[in-house]
Amino acid sequence: MQGYRKYFTKKIVWFLITFFVAVTLNFFLPRLMPADPVSAITGKLAAGNADAKAVQKIYDRYAEEFGTNKPILQQYLLFLKNMFKGDFGTSFSQYPRSVSDIISSAIWWTVCLQLPAIIVGWLLGNILGALAAYIRKGWDKVLLPITIFLSNVPAFGMAVTLLVVFAIKLKIAPVAGGYAFDQIPNFSWAFIKSVISHYQLPFWSIVLVSIGGQAIGMRSMSIYELNADYVKYARFLGVKDRKIVGYVFRNAMLPQITGLALSIGTMIGGALVAEIIFSYPGLGSTMYAAITAADYPLISATTLIITIMVLIVTFLLDLIYGFIDPRVKAAQFDN
Amino acid sequence: MKKNVVKKLVSIVAVGSMTAALLAGCGSSEAVAPAPEPEAAPVEEEAAPVEEAVEEAPAETAEGELPRNETLYFAGQQWGTVASWNPIGTNQNNSMAIAGGSSGYRTLVFETLYMYDPLSGSCKPLLADGDYSWNDDQTELSFKIKDAAKWSDGSAVTGDDVVATFDIGVEIGNTCGSTFGAYIDKIEADGNNVTIFSALTDDGKPVNPLFVVDFLTGTPIAQKAWIETVKDRNGGDATSILNDPGEDFVWSGPYTKYYADDQKVVLIRDDNYWGQDASMWGSLPVPKYIAHTIYADNPAGQAALQAGEVDVCQQFISNVQDLWEKDGLPISTYYEEAPYGVCLTMPTAWYNMNLPVLADNAALRKAIALAVDYDSIIANAMTNQSPTFSDVPRSLMNPTDGEQALYDHDAVKDLQWAGNDIDGAIALLDEAGLTDSDGDGYREYKGEKISLNAVCPNGWTDWQAAMEIVAAAGEKIGVEITTLYPEWDIYQTVFVDPAQTEYAIFMWSPEAASPSNPWHRVNQFLGSEYVGVENNWSGNWGQYVNKDADEIIKKIPLTTDAAEIKDMYTELTKIYLTEVPSFSLMYRPSLFHAVNESVWTNFPSADDGRGIPPLDCTDGYGIAALYGLELVQ
Repeated sequence: MQGYRKYFTKKIVWFLITFFVAVTLNFFLPRLMPADPVSAITGKLAAGNADAKAVQKIYDRYAEEFGTNKPILQQYLLFLKNMFKGDFGTSFSQYPRSVSDIISSAIWWTVCLQLPAIIVGWLLGNILGALAAYIRKGWDKVLLPITIFLSNVPAFGMAVTLLVVFAIKLKIAPVAGGYAFDQIPNFSWAFIKSVISHYQLPFWSIVLVSIGGQAIGMRSMSIYELNADYVKYARFLGVKDRKIVGYVFRNAMLPQITGLALSIGTMIGGALVAEIIFSYPGLGSTMYAAITAADYPLISATTLIITIMVLIVTFLLDLIYGFIDPRVKAAQFDN
Repeated sequence: MKKNVVKKLVSIVAVGSMTAALLAGCGSSEAVAPAPEPEAAPVEEEAAPVEEAVEEAPAETAEGELPRNETLYFAGQQWGTVASWNPIGTNQNNSMAIAGGSSGYRTLVFETLYMYDPLSGSCKPLLADGDYSWNDDQTELSFKIKDAAKWSDGSAVTGDDVVATFDIGVEIGNTCGSTFGAYIDKIEADGNNVTIFSALTDDGKPVNPLFVVDFLTGTPIAQKAWIETVKDRNGGDATSILNDPGEDFVWSGPYTKYYADDQKVVLIRDDNYWGQDASMWGSLPVPKYIAHTIYADNPAGQAALQAGEVDVCQQFISNVQDLWEKDGLPISTYYEEAPYGVCLTMPTAWYNMNLPVLADNAALRKAIALAVDYDSIIANAMTNQSPTFSDVPRSLMNPTDGEQALYDHDAVKDLQWAGNDIDGAIALLDEAGLTDSDGDGYREYKGEKISLNAVCPNGWTDWQAAMEIVAAAGEKIGVEITTLYPEWDIYQTVFVDPAQTEYAIFMWSPEAASPSNPWHRVNQFLGSEYVGVENNWSGNWGQYVNKDADEIIKKIPLTTDAAEIKDMYTELTKIYLTEVPSFSLMYRPSLFHAVNESVWTNFPSADDGRGIPPLDCTDGYGIAALYGLELVQ
């Protein structure tokens, strides 16, 4: 048990160091871009203003407000101080909205789109991969190649294809947005129906692309496990086939769980393509807009969310592995 | 048995998380739905009607649907979530309510004193009653406020509101203050009578009377009592006042806030709007709701227009005529034929005078401009949504009749060019001694190959197509021009830097139409007051200096004699066409105006005799269109 504790203490220390490095990079990397967001915000307000002195005053005021006129190290320390208070400041591109406000209104759209899509894609992919490995025949020759083909279509290609076919040509799905253009959010069946119908294309564009990858992984792991010595031995012993399959899939699942966890950890960035193509509100498109506008506070906050999620998920994985696979647990104890 | 339990557990968790996520999604829509935002409304008396108006509205649409035949849908104006409703704030990102268009202010919610009409170049009274008048030396401008003009809380709009709007602007440095503070000394009011005093130079002359008139059409008037409320609750702090969300705003316009979230903004008609008085419109605007879905990009907005989900589209649509000619859609523009819209501005390629090769060689500047195939730019990049330079010969003026009459066409005829004149350009370069002496196909200056770049922001596709044609022109005359398309955030950082040497030929548009134009635009093209200015968003981005031009530019705003003004503009046009510090690549509307007439009809068109400018039914005098709309069925 002591080894177990030591193992996780060590892990936590490493996670904290990683977190600190990531936060530092989150702060400095956007600021290395050769763009001046204070100039952009000034331009929004003062483009064409004939009084150049007044324009300069506006620029100076924003530089002061955002602190961009301070030394970069001082800005960094301020950023750290505010970050621990949960304050990411004001957005450049959506000024004067606060970064927290922008994220809190966008994040739910992303979570609701991505989490179910990742889970459904993962489940379907794994079932398909397992069936392909176990049943072979038709599954392996027809369905699997189709899903592999689909998974090799780039995410934006899949999204555009679905958009053109189902929304523009067949007109059976809406073109853009999170709900219908003539709706105001409310608890009515019409609105819920509208949300669900707008959900379909972005959802399936993510699911279809992810099925193939999961299926391939599961299939090869399962085939490997099915040919393992313990399976042969179990068969010699006359253990029932269903029982053996249970063992096989439990072992084959391990890398798949890692894949699932990492997908969940990085889902914020992963939603980018679907969100942009379907004009779907969410954090992916928010992050994209922030990057194109050199919106440092918003970029730092969104990338920080990804960092934290990946770190938490990796940490949880370590814990869960122990429960799923006694070998891992033993290794952790030994450590 | 144990395996079944695990299976069940896994499926319950999976289904549970999906359901929870889905529900949370619906919940989140609710969470972002601000509804009436009662907590934002303070206790002041004048805020009460705002709450009433906003709160009663949802009851009318129990299902949360906007009735199609009562709603006018827009695209291309609002990008991103609305940040604030504060008319004295800044960066509201609230295009439907608070937006100073380059050809007239958007007066759906907040109103200006006059509405600008770029077709006639005139100011039409809105909150003001009748025309304004200047005293002889243009130091005082007077007008009266309409007796009928009222705020949404029922109180009268008075001259004190105009004074308070200007004063707070100067105090906190908002758009009004920073735009007009240098040109207006003070505003005084006596009841409904208002006098604006020009700021004076040391010799007692007004700084620039043209911008005083711009104030009349470019500043939304806010209520004095509301301004006081906002000042009080922010303790008089300028930044806090500028950033106040202003949710409790008091308005004088025909519409007010109904709903806004990440995906749309909806305005609802104020049926108590004062403008239904006979002294103004005589009726309410026809659509009850004004809605703008926030699209991710132009293609999404265009798809919605084609699908009939958008009625008025302010976006550049390539080959717009195909929508009705080929696709048979009920879509139309202001003119039935090319150029389809009213062009008020001219996207321009600016030469960077920080580069000696460009600063020293007017012949090189003119040769490149002569060689560019403008017809090809207009046909391809603009898909003919611009008159050609044969139709409207190049000058400092936009193509409107009013501006075209401001210079002597015959006097500058020999200096103008329509483009694609390769022989003329080559002759000019040879004559200037800019030749190819090392035989590499490119000309040299002081022994070095002339190599320039042509730059515009990435993704601005029509501009990028234009820059490709500029580069191709260079190739034909032995001048190496390569194209460069940086991202917008980088582009804007560089081109407003007065010392930049990174971009040689780069694009930007000068001012479109307002009472201060064409003077303001001419000053942007030729005036040296912006040379060396840091963060130069004002004009003369190429840093061109010409003392003769400066002198004439200074005189124009103080001159009232029309013939004298025409002479001066003619002289400036001569300088511009000879020196070529920049060259316009096309004419372009300041607002695109394509309408889908499947639900609404009777939008402004060139032959309807109403004289309403095609400004999306929202800007300047263009808002008059809202009063004449009719339902198709």
